[in-house]
This record gives sequence, C-alpha cells and structure tokens, in this order.
Amino acid sequence: MSSMLPPTTAKIAGLGWVTPLGGGLESVWERLLRGDVAEAKIIANPETGREHVYAPVPPKTVEALGRNPRLRRSSAISYFAVAAGLAALENAGVSLTPETAARTAIVFAISSGGVVYTRKFYEQIVKQGANTASPLLFPETVYNAPASHLAAQFGVDGASYTLVGDSTVGLAALKFAEQLLATSDLDRVVVVGSEEIDWILCEAYRDWRLARRPGGSRGAMLAEGAAAVVLAREGKLDLVLHDGVPVFRRVEAGAALARVFADLLPTGAPDAVIGCANGTFVDGIERQVLAQRFPEAALSFPKCALGEALGASGLIQVVAAALALQHGAVPGMSADGKSIDTVLVSALGFNQQAGGAVLRRTA
Amino acid sequence: MSSPAPSAPRRVAITAVGVVSPLGLGCGETTRALRAGRDGVTPVTAFDVSRTRCKTAGSIDRAALRANSAAVEKARGHELHPASRMMMAAGAEVRRGDAAFDPELLVIGTTSGGMSFGEHFYRAQVEKRQPHERSLWLANYLPQKPVLDTLELWPSAAPSQIIANACASGTNAVGHAFRLVRAGHYRRVLCGGYDAISEMVFVGFDSLQASTPEKIRPFDKSRTGLVLGEGAALLALEDLESAQQRNAPILAEITGYGISTDNHHLTQPHPSGIGPRQAMERALADAGTAPGEVDYINAHGTATPFNDATEGTAIAQIFGERVPVSSTKSMMGHSLGAAGAIEAAFCVLALRERFLPPNIHFQELDPAWRLNIVANESRAAELNCVISNSFGFGGTNATIVLQKA
Repeated sequence: MSSMLPPTTAKIAGLGWVTPLGGGLESVWERLLRGDVAEAKIIANPETGREHVYAPVPPKTVEALGRNPRLRRSSAISYFAVAAGLAALENAGVSLTPETAARTAIVFAISSGGVVYTRKFYEQIVKQGANTASPLLFPETVYNAPASHLAAQFGVDGASYTLVGDSTVGLAALKFAEQLLATSDLDRVVVVGSEEIDWILCEAYRDWRLARRPGGSRGAMLAEGAAAVVLAREGKLDLVLHDGVPVFRRVEAGAALARVFADLLPTGAPDAVIGCANGTFVDGIERQVLAQRFPEAALSFPKCALGEALGASGLIQVVAAALALQHGAVPGMSADGKSIDTVLVSALGFNQQAGGAVLRRTA
Repeated sequence: MSSPAPSAPRRVAITAVGVVSPLGLGCGETTRALRAGRDGVTPVTAFDVSRTRCKTAGSIDRAALRANSAAVEKARGHELHPASRMMMAAGAEVRRGDAAFDPELLVIGTTSGGMSFGEHFYRAQVEKRQPHERSLWLANYLPQKPVLDTLELWPSAAPSQIIANACASGTNAVGHAFRLVRAGHYRRVLCGGYDAISEMVFVGFDSLQASTPEKIRPFDKSRTGLVLGEGAALLALEDLESAQQRNAPILAEITGYGISTDNHHLTQPHPSGIGPRQAMERALADAGTAPGEVDYINAHGTATPFNDATEGTAIAQIFGERVPVSSTKSMMGHSLGAAGAIEAAFCVLALRERFLPPNIHFQELDPAWRLNIVANESRAAELNCVISNSFGFGGTNATIVLQKA
C-alpha cells in the first residue's frame, strides 16, 4: 500500500442502509439471503423517448423524513443519506448530544451528485433562458449539499467532508474517515454514501456501454440507494482498508485489483468475498483475479440484487460484508457448515481505481 | 481503533508549487501579476451571457492552455477537458520545480469536475444529436479524470482522494494532506484543487444574485458580489526531514489546519461569523501560533454581502486591525474548488518574494469592522507567518497556516 504505515484497523460500530429492497438492516439482509432481486422501473428520456431501466428505492423507505424542515427542498440523495446515517447511529447505540456531536465527523461519498436537480436546473437554462433558472434548485446541485444536511441533522460543527469518485469512492471515504480518526481526537466518523438516478444519467451510462437496456441481461442495473458505516475507536468488527490503486486503462484493471488483494491478504484467504460484479466488463476481470487468488472463497455479488448504486455501492458492500460476518452466511451461497471469520470486499470502479477492505470480528 | 505507532509530529514542507489562474500560467507570471495588482477579470465569451446579470469572469487564456497540452492530446488522439489542461499545466510546473518528488497520495479539491462536457451532453439530447464526441464528453466529465490525467505525468501508482466541499475544497485538500504528512502516514502527498468555468455554475451564482455585474470589491462598503474564476494549483508536500535529506527545495512550511461546519443554512453563513472564527481559531491552535504572530491574511473575501460580513467580523474579533488582509479574488475572481489551492500558492509566493498581494478595486472599508486592507497596490513586507481562508456552501469553512521556510 502507498501509506508509509502498515494498514491500521478501524472499528465498525454501526451500520445502516437504504436500498431498492427496503431500509431495515435485517429485513434487507433476509431478502438478500432469500434471493430477492430489486424491482426494476422504466424511466424515459423525454427528449427522444428512449427508455432505460433502473432500481429505485421504494418511497415509503424514507417517508418518515418527509416533514423534516431542513430537507424540504432537498434531493433524493439527501433523504437517502440522512435515513441511512440515522439508522447507522441508532445501530451503533449513539445518541448525538452537543457533546458527542462535537467529537463526531462526517464523510460523505458520491459519484454523480444531485443529478436530478442539476439536469432540471440546466434544462431551465437551455429551454427558458438563464434568467429563469431557479435559485431554489442550484444549491442542491452542489456535491456537498447532502453532507451539509447530515451535519445539520446530527449537529456536527467540526469536520465534514464530501468525496467524489467512481464506485470505489465509498471505500475511499472509509479510508479518509480512518485517517481522520488517526490524526485527531474524534470519537467517531459517520461515513455515508448515496446516489440517485435520473434519465440523463441512464443515457450517459448507456452511451458508455455500461448500463443495462430494458429487457437486457448485460450491463449494470443502475440503482438508487445509500449506506452508512459508523467508524469508531471501539466497535463490533475490525476493518482494514486499502488506499486504492489507480487504473488508467481497462487492461490494467486486473493487475490493480490483484495488487489490492495481495496487499490486504499477503497470506491466507478470506472465507467469503463480497464482490463488485455488476454486469459490465468488471465481472470478467474480478472473476479472473478471484479465481487465481482465492479459489476456495465463497463469493457473493450484492449488485446482482441491489443494482449498481455507484457512490453508495462500496459502502453497501461493506454493510453486506459486516452482516455476513454477523450471521455467518452470504447471499447466494449455501452455508455448508463453514464458518465465516474473514470477509474481503472487492471494488473496481469504472474509471478511477481499484480498492478493497477486509472485515473480521473484533477479538 | 489501533492507531499507527505514536511518533513525533513531522514538520511539513512545500517543495514545489504549480499554479494556473487568470493571473498567469506559472509562478513567475503569477508573481508579477500579483505585485502589479493586475485585473484578470474579462468578459465571458465561452457561452451566452445575454440573459445573466453578471457578464464577466476570471478566465484563463484557453489557447495558451491548449498549446501547453497539445503534445499529450496528439499522443492520446483526443482533446482533454480544460480542467485537465489546467491540472496538467500545474502538474508540469511541480515536476519542473522538484523533479524527484514522487507522490504517494493525491488529495485534490474540485466542485464541478468537467461540468461543461456534461452540458454538451445534455444539449445534444435536447437537439436530438448523437455527435461522435459523446463518448469523449462522458469519459472526461467525471471529477476524477483531470486527477488521473495529471497523475500520468509522473507516472505514479498513487491513489487519489477527491474532495468536493464546495468553495473550501482546495483548502480542505491542502489541510488534509498536511495532516497526513505531519502524522507520518505518508512522506509525500500532492495536493491542490481545480475548477473550470461552466455555464451551469455561472448561471447558478447569477440566479442566487451572488455574482455582480460590477467590479468585485471585497470588504468594500459598496461591494455587490463576486465574479467567478477558474484555475488549478498543486502543492508538493513532504516530510521536512525527508525533503532536506534529498536536498529538495523548501519553499515554505504548512503548520496548521482548521475546519468547521456552520449549520445555519445551505448557502448563507451564520451572521455571527462563528464558522469562519472557529476555522481560524482551530488552525491557529493546530499550528501553535498566536494571532499576534500572523503577518498576513489571504481572505476568502468573495465580496458578497454575507461572506465579507461574517469573515470581516471574525477577522476583526481574532486579529483586530493590525494584520494586513487582502482578497486576491479581487484580481482573479472566485475559482471555487481551486480557490483555496491557488490562494495557498499565492501565500507561498508572498512569503518567498516578500510582498503583500493587493485587494484591488477597493474604495472604502465597510464601517462594520476595522481591518487593515492591502488596498489596491501590493506592499513590500517581510512575512514569517500567513493564513489563508476558504469558506463554502454547505457551511464548510477551512483555514491553513503557512510559515516561511
């Protein structure tokens, strides 16, 4: 790894998620174990009529936040982020008083940002003229708007960061949070990733030959969702994070992922892998590296059920890995009596870097 | 959490700087422009501004930028986004300044990535066109692309962290990189920020009436708002001891960083100035520096009524009227995610070249505070310690402390 220091071990103290299969930690996990798959919805480009398919978060999952005054004009990503963050804090048993909030930081991960409001705002400029563009929309187009809402919700007045990147950004955000803990006297960092879908995003990923077409089986099912992890000095699970390896060209991706795995697990193998396969070129690369390095590990690919939630996906994988450890099972694999003590999270983005993490039960 | 083995904090050196702004390409041209108090704000020609109030911005000479990266673009067979061109120009200057610097991590701030390519993509949808450039726009729209393009200059296998904390992003990137080197997590970190002007962001600030049709006059009684700018800056940070061992140039040191979040409103700071005050106080405490030791403040100074009111109040509360203050945005506009990094670079130039950059277009101080504004003309000054402020949407506030080498 690039850091001068050996990998440090952060502790996972709390988990939360908002997914196309719902919002409860255990209820979504049970559905994943049952083999349920997110319901797909069609969204059309109003300019051309071209249809796209994506996996939405059921509206009722975040309806409890509907009367939150701070969120009244915010985008879906902020609702998802706040719901996941609150769930993770509750799971961690943390109630944020002014005293505890002062020792809490926020790191938010996103890939596409507030794409719905961004498209709407620019649509006003193009179709009606710049002088008609709404000042109510523009602030919510800023990447860090959800982090601002999280900070206000939690009462955090210290460190709050938003990280952007490809679908490895969730793991990058966890690494960033680990660095915050190591270089400060913070007690905890709430790490949240969130993503929303708009037709313009579907168009972009279709043109990039990455998104699935309606009725098709190849390509990623783009998905909404959010996940949150509370990193702290004490917790239920150990988390070892890689810094990431850049990928300049796709032909380098396999070597980058192999290096991540070798750095994280120089000897031995994980009992299970929560992979990042999503129906794109990523699948073949990941499958090959895993087959070479860890042929015996149980493999599970949550994006097959939950879709590709981009900025949220790395954190969704970490939540799934944590639940696999807690329950001793992984979706899509029979238990066959083998215990699960070490879980590897594998992450390969579309155009930035490869990343990974290892989770174990705290001794 | 098992923290890294405890060790004495390292001193953090800046061994090279690369800067691209409306005031020039490179440190030499930039220093001359800062000394002269040059106005880098010009009429916008990149897109239609007939229906916006503000019609000017601090724009970079795109032809010069394009020429700068022509060889790379020819080799790759396609055009780069202007943001990549800016970042690569800044990266090349860092390489010239310290050829042996090999980053272990990149921490870069931005607010909008390659937004103008996203605009092209949307317009093509509306106009029902499918130009062949679509794939180019997509691949170069995302914020990580200019960072990877720059990383290829080395080449390096360093990972990247891209911070999007609105207008504080650049200072946050420098500050986080500083903390990592000081704690011994990395020996060498390349940090900075970039942003290129886009129509959507330009209209966004216009819609909020944050931008002005007039000249930008930070801290002035008659200030009416900001104008946008663009640019990129990169700073090579290294453990001082390591840099000295390899005889690297030591341009300055970073000694402190403070961050705060003001939860008052998404786009408006709390009128008390608590957010900026906490960021400055935390940075000074982090550096172990007393307010009386600070010789210059490069203010965020956007010239919006709200920003300057809160920042001016906070500066006056902490420093009184002794410390010289200027907002270099008066010369180059507000380059958003790049601003903090560019202004950190300006601070390095001021420390080394012994001058105070001016706050141009200044007429009369807002009577709400008593501040020592470096009005209209640069001043010669022996500087030992300076601070640089950046504040942004979402209530994010950041300050760094820099020290003469």
